[in-house]
Amino acid sequence: MLPRLTLLVGLALAASPVLSQDYIDLEAERKAAASAEVSQPAPVTPSEPAAPVAAAPVSASPAEQQSGQNLGELMYQLQLLQQEVMNLRGQVEEQGHQLRQLKQQSLERYLDLDKRLGAGAVATSPDASKVVAATAVAAKPSVTEIPGETEAYKAAYGLVRSQRFDDAIAAFDTFLQSYPDGRYAANAHYWLGELYLVITPQDLEASRQAFTLLLREYPDNSKVPDALYKLGKVYFLKGNSAKSREYLERVIAEFGDSDSSAVKLAKDFLAENF
Amino acid sequence: MKQLLFTMLAFLLLVAQARAELVIEITSGRDNPTAIAVVPFAWSGFGAAPEDVADVIQGDLMRSGQFAPVSNNDMLNLPTREDEVFYRDWRTTNTEYLLIGRVSGEATVTVEYELFDVFRQTRIIAASESGPVAELRMLAHRVSDKVYQQLTGIRGAFATRILYVAVNREGGEDVYRLMVADADGVRDKEVTRSTQPILSPSWAPDGKRIAYVSFETTRPAIYMHNLVTGEKQQLTNFKGLNGAPAWSPDGNSMAMVLSKDGSPDLYLLDLASRQFRRLTRHFAIETEPSWMPDGLSLVFTSDRGGKPQIYRLDIATGDTERMTYEGSWNARASIAADGRTMVMVHRADGNFHIAVQDLERDQLSILTSTALDESPSVAPNGSMVLYATKRNGRGILAAVSVDGGVRFRLPSREGDVREPAWSPYLD
Repeated sequence: MLPRLTLLVGLALAASPVLSQDYIDLEAERKAAASAEVSQPAPVTPSEPAAPVAAAPVSASPAEQQSGQNLGELMYQLQLLQQEVMNLRGQVEEQGHQLRQLKQQSLERYLDLDKRLGAGAVATSPDASKVVAATAVAAKPSVTEIPGETEAYKAAYGLVRSQRFDDAIAAFDTFLQSYPDGRYAANAHYWLGELYLVITPQDLEASRQAFTLLLREYPDNSKVPDALYKLGKVYFLKGNSAKSREYLERVIAEFGDSDSSAVKLAKDFLAENF
Repeated sequence: MKQLLFTMLAFLLLVAQARAELVIEITSGRDNPTAIAVVPFAWSGFGAAPEDVADVIQGDLMRSGQFAPVSNNDMLNLPTREDEVFYRDWRTTNTEYLLIGRVSGEATVTVEYELFDVFRQTRIIAASESGPVAELRMLAHRVSDKVYQQLTGIRGAFATRILYVAVNREGGEDVYRLMVADADGVRDKEVTRSTQPILSPSWAPDGKRIAYVSFETTRPAIYMHNLVTGEKQQLTNFKGLNGAPAWSPDGNSMAMVLSKDGSPDLYLLDLASRQFRRLTRHFAIETEPSWMPDGLSLVFTSDRGGKPQIYRLDIATGDTERMTYEGSWNARASIAADGRTMVMVHRADGNFHIAVQDLERDQLSILTSTALDESPSVAPNGSMVLYATKRNGRGILAAVSVDGGVRFRLPSREGDVREPAWSPYLD
């Protein structure tokens, strides 16, 4: 009742004294109910000539008054219920909103991470090609872009963005078949590892294989610290604490000096779970 | 000479009287406003010029906060045609743009104007506006619109009007006047008056008809008023609340709040058939409808979630979606013509401020720092928000740009002013 009244006072600023009509109506109905109970006894009295005139309304009143009170009580209960429903509705709306925000935030974290890792890959590749050129060896296919590769990778990645995780897994699988030595192959393995963790049900073994493959095939890739950290997590989820710890400690030991975010994540994970 | 002086004096007095209602005080502008010189326009008609066109344009550009008009005293010469323009003179005073012009005619006047880019030494506009001499100020505002559009890329909204309610105490009772004035507060005219409250003025999209709520029959009722013919019609007379009329963008219907069936709900009145259609059915309060520019949905205030918040209603499907989550009190929303900027009254720390929400990015920013701000109304070009607030215990109008950078106040000389409504484009 109180918040509603406050609202009325507030809204009155904008649109008027009449907003309180809501309540006046209820009051009026209560009054109408009360006046109905006064007028009703009238037809009863003439049929009982023996009863004193004054006695009829007096004898009728308590019962009628009782029902009037009940009606008032009912109206009051109804108002309480309405207020309760409104408050609950407000809470549901707000929680729904918070959930949507959280989902959005976690998606953005993924996107941010991939952007940073992608940028790392791009930054290292010119160095690699320099080395290749200096040693006068033919450029390796892994650092040159194959036509259509970027588009295919972006399309698969777009599915991650729109949270179509199952489709994204299929797309990255196809991508790896078409461009097994492409410059984004390591990224694709990494995303497969991530995706097997977010689908329902999780496929821990598939995820483990994707990350392990990344470590074996691309030991110098910029995604290695993240893959190590993720493997630590996957082993933890699989119940293998020893292996989990081993991988997490490897992140810190091998990349502790770098500014990789995986180091902090690994430290946090160790602190929380071990 | 004496004759001329007298005419001028009489004219000045008239102007002073006409401007008695609202006065503009600019409180904040942009950091690097563009320096523009608006040279006094030549007048080739009979007697004294009916309006100082250059002064009106200077005022408009100044109020936008994006321009710093060069003072007449700093002008080295006062050209009125292109062959009198020497760019060097303007470069030395760091003037970026130069506007010159000429006014001619009698009953019908023509304002010719030319805009120059001083640094590129080129003329960028040469155009004219004509109309009846009584509308000379409006012609000047139209010149401001064109200059503003050329230099900012945004259509100007100076040649528009505002509605507001002025309340004065006369002979021991409050007198409510519904006023219409140019967007700069000048040329105010009374539309109607009553000793009972007048509320919620709203413009039809044609800029000719308005709707408002009046208690003149001691009960609230919605009226429609044609500003051109003066014709007035009562649209509703229901028991309880009749309020918050909002004209649909196509002008064919009006959303409003009625409580005839219980608690306040939104209704849609078809103006041709006079049929009412109920849009919401809820035991909570639904009020303050405002249209999305596409006319397919409405935003409104409801306390169905326990606290007043803004919701959007899809008129065809009846789907309702909550739009505001920040703060425990959001009301009186209105949507700018771009369909993505929503202004509203937002309560923060117990104070009522004007806030703007970017509907695409879902970001809320508070625009005002005064305490009791209400009734925001957006200019048709979405640049400024006009609202009512309290200053020194009196109701005044104030304006703030949608990015919060530019502010000015339009206090009245006496009494209170409130409930402003900015017109759509008038041409």
